[in-house]
Amino acid sequence: MAVATATPPNDLPQARTREFLRARLFLRAALPCVKVMLEDDPATARRFKHVDAVVQFVAKNQPRAVGAYLWFENGTVRTEQGFWDADGLGKEPDITFTFGSLAKLCDFFAGKTVLPSIRGYNHPALLAKVLQLLLSLKLMLPSAQPTDPAKRQLKLKLTLYMITTALSQYNKGGDPGMQRWTAKQPDRIYQFSVEPEGIAAYLRVRGGQTKAGRGVYTRRRPFVHMRFNGVEGALAVMNKDVEFVEGVGKGMVRIDGSPEYAANLNDFMMRVQALLTEG
Amino acid sequence: MTEVTGTTWNVYDANTLTQAEIYGRVLCDLAEADPRIVALTADLAKSTKIGVFQEKFPHRVFNVGIAEQNLFGIAAGMARSGLLPFVSTMSAFASMRALEQVRTDICYQNLDVKIIATHGGVSFGQAGTTHHCTEDIAIQRSLANMTLIVPADGWETANAVRASVKHPGPVYIRLGRGFEPTHYENDEYGFELGKAVTISEDTDITVIACGVAVYHAAEAAKLLKDQDGISVRVLDMHTIKPIDEEAILKAVLETRRILCVEEHNVVGGLGSAVADVIAASGKGCAFAKSGLPDCYSEVGYPEDLYSHYCIDGDGIVGLVRELLHREFEADEDWEDEF
Repeated sequence: MAVATATPPNDLPQARTREFLRARLFLRAALPCVKVMLEDDPATARRFKHVDAVVQFVAKNQPRAVGAYLWFENGTVRTEQGFWDADGLGKEPDITFTFGSLAKLCDFFAGKTVLPSIRGYNHPALLAKVLQLLLSLKLMLPSAQPTDPAKRQLKLKLTLYMITTALSQYNKGGDPGMQRWTAKQPDRIYQFSVEPEGIAAYLRVRGGQTKAGRGVYTRRRPFVHMRFNGVEGALAVMNKDVEFVEGVGKGMVRIDGSPEYAANLNDFMMRVQALLTEG
Repeated sequence: MTEVTGTTWNVYDANTLTQAEIYGRVLCDLAEADPRIVALTADLAKSTKIGVFQEKFPHRVFNVGIAEQNLFGIAAGMARSGLLPFVSTMSAFASMRALEQVRTDICYQNLDVKIIATHGGVSFGQAGTTHHCTEDIAIQRSLANMTLIVPADGWETANAVRASVKHPGPVYIRLGRGFEPTHYENDEYGFELGKAVTISEDTDITVIACGVAVYHAAEAAKLLKDQDGISVRVLDMHTIKPIDEEAILKAVLETRRILCVEEHNVVGGLGSAVADVIAASGKGCAFAKSGLPDCYSEVGYPEDLYSHYCIDGDGIVGLVRELLHREFEADEDWEDEF
């Protein structure tokens, strides 16, 4: 496996750096959400129950390509960064999606119409399942408004998982503002939770490092805790149907902890969302 | 017996009186209502500030001369006779010279004797190492039946003295020399024996302090908030025994970084008492103790000594910054979960 992840060289112009950062968020924060689909959506889980395959996504890029792959095994899936180059992955991808540029890869994951070249038409059943799985990620888009309560809950879970990971990757990917913000902080937990459904995710920050985690962090009290009052209120706030401050006023979300840092975090969430949906 | 609450002097007094002076005045208030109360001293009535009590109740004060062992032996006898003795002397004498009497005559019999130990820690500055007392917390907390209180300031001293009357059995209250800064604005902040006072409920790190270190910890917390944006939880752990396990474990679970600050040898004092609780709980945290690093104290002005041993505000700020950067989890993993 070649280690060619979405980390830009140091001397890239700002626009290219932003492109790398955007690709990083899709490959490391959005794409891994397929795991949640397999775990929480019974229909998807059934489809992949006996699938044993590797599906790769590669963007042509200078000086070298950028990619990630999904590895399906015994009804589970994991996301790895890099791409197969015949000497490392150990298993040649069954399907490869190749994009002409990083921008096209990003647009594809942002739900825009992009046609990659696909190698693996000899696995039509697998290809159909994978395309269906990728399409299901569109559930995270603000425009997706399912009516089924289970789907709405799944949408919220995907969104929370994705946004916390995206925030962490935004920092790890080198956004200067985010790095300045995290650098001066001691060990802090920014917790998101939805009650009574029990959906939760967190972002841990310490001295410039970040980590996104699932569930409630139990090793210390959150520095900021955004408590959403039910799925509907949470979706309204996360989708920006309701402004954050308005959501607080309406009791859709309650902030425990530092209001200043909660506002900072909300600003970064908006910047991450703007990056993901731009273009 | 009439319940005694509040103070009978004005706020100006409370801000200028030393801890020991406040002790003397509170004792007067209590003695008005409780005829069992008597005061004993070993030729240190002036230094331990019970002169006001002597003026008001001349027949209830007993000066045994420079004979601390007798002082505590007599107090034990008085307690056995139904009196409520308050024994005041310097902490070095109360905890070391008369240790056998405190242990065997008072604690072993679980007698109702209240020990007011003044000049604790290095507060006697220029008087020298022989008159400093940086071992008494370790000694007193190892005596069965003993209750050990280290008030933060004069207001807390008033609360501690009042609480000791209601609390059966021997109580050791450790005071400074005087001139210590006042942290609390009055005595109505919810003092409860055995329960720490949470001065600020923040989450980045916890500083657990007792005695004069409480004031400095609170000042350090303000400075860290202003300069670094660090939110410091400060616990005033006035009662070292029985210690407030609940507050300690809450701090461990909610902040995961604990700094203990005390005017005492780091061996056996507040830090050790806190460490006992944490170790028994099996919970992990970054932990540090600040105080005298297992040495005999230098001689100098108390403020200079506080600075030398990192018990003052600047010292605590430095220790907090250091502790915040310490790795303490073997499984430090910064890979995002999925």
